[in-house]
Amino acid sequence: MMHLSQQLELFPEFTVTQLLFKDVKNAVELRKNAVDGLIKGALINPTMIVDPFQVLIATNKAVHLHKIGKMKTKSLYSEIIFNLLPTNGISEAFKRFGISDRDECVLVVLVHEGEDAQLLADVVAMVAGQQIPVEDVSSLTDSAKIKKLYKVPPQECGSLLDAVVCRMATKDVMQN
Amino acid sequence: MHLNICHYKGKEQESQKGIKNRSMALQMSMELPQKGELVKQGAEARIYRRTFLGKPTIVKERFPKLYRHPILDEKLTHRRTVQEVRSILRCRKAGILAPVVYFVDYASHCIFLEDIVGSITVRDHIAAIHLARENREAHLGQLAQKMGQILARMHDEDVVHGDLTTSNMLLKSSAESGEIDLVLIDFGLSYISALPEDKGVDMYVLEKAFLSTHPNTEAMFEKLLKSYAASSKKSLAVIKKLDEVRLRGRKRSMVG
Repeated sequence: MMHLSQQLELFPEFTVTQLLFKDVKNAVELRKNAVDGLIKGALINPTMIVDPFQVLIATNKAVHLHKIGKMKTKSLYSEIIFNLLPTNGISEAFKRFGISDRDECVLVVLVHEGEDAQLLADVVAMVAGQQIPVEDVSSLTDSAKIKKLYKVPPQECGSLLDAVVCRMATKDVMQN
Repeated sequence: MHLNICHYKGKEQESQKGIKNRSMALQMSMELPQKGELVKQGAEARIYRRTFLGKPTIVKERFPKLYRHPILDEKLTHRRTVQEVRSILRCRKAGILAPVVYFVDYASHCIFLEDIVGSITVRDHIAAIHLARENREAHLGQLAQKMGQILARMHDEDVVHGDLTTSNMLLKSSAESGEIDLVLIDFGLSYISALPEDKGVDMYVLEKAFLSTHPNTEAMFEKLLKSYAASSKKSLAVIKKLDEVRLRGRKRSMVG
């Protein structure tokens, strides 16, 4: 079982499932499907992801804001991508974290109710690439790029994941 | 005729009150399992322990204070939440350990923080050292040294904690080095200030809390201040202000 599912403790009616693919040949088509709303999920560039927990944090926040009607973007999926950015500029979020037509690796984040084997199967069928375990995302991580984007100074304590998560959680009240 | 019907007004009011209390109690008991295990109930906030997205988490809930005017309460509570979260990131960026913030719910004023598993407060640690027989001075000295260093770094970042006590400092063993790490918590009253007066007051608050909680630790606190002075570039002015503030305290003769 290569995908990773986590039920949101605060919103138990929602479960988040992440799927990771490499050697993807149809990024153009996938992007179009996402824009057309054919995928009930977000497509993320995995080189910007340190750990699946980072995605869970972004998704939890997106679902929370969606529930109280305070999202900054138009859909739950674009909100997930927006939350990944340490700053508050929307177009930059997609540039950095969304996938481009040339990308060969894609992280798919689905938000669904309970177990949905059909949904997962549909997504796997849609992607022309090889599915790999989500935990392998750390082997695709571009740490230098992330450190630069999140402006992590050398003396900051904790891991890169800590630095990223902390910024994601506090960006609404930090001057950036 | 039903036995439950009350003919007396007094009794009717009483039974209605009973229903209200019961539904309140029901509400409270239904809320708790969702929130996690209640660890502490303070005057300002409730602390829960739970799992969040698979990680051990502390939830700090600043509940509404009914004795305050509601608009004022909302503003104050929001500000404290924001200040806490800002100061944590600021400290972490400077290499001062504070719990990672996972999520902030500004609607209910809940902060979801990393649970520093296996930690104890400096307060409890000092108490334990006092109970132990050997090496008291050495242990306390080491701790004082560390505390002085960390606080110096914090003040050099112009972060004033606002509520320095030994209960707001945690000790845990470092994952990599096996050494003891000092973690600062509870930044609700913190703010940014470069003024030596504010930092001096910060240290004064700590001194008062220290000496009242841990009797006969004057020497230890002196060591802490020495370590602080040695570690901070701006410490001279701060210590000077601390001395001034000490003179200002209660029951002090203001003969100039």
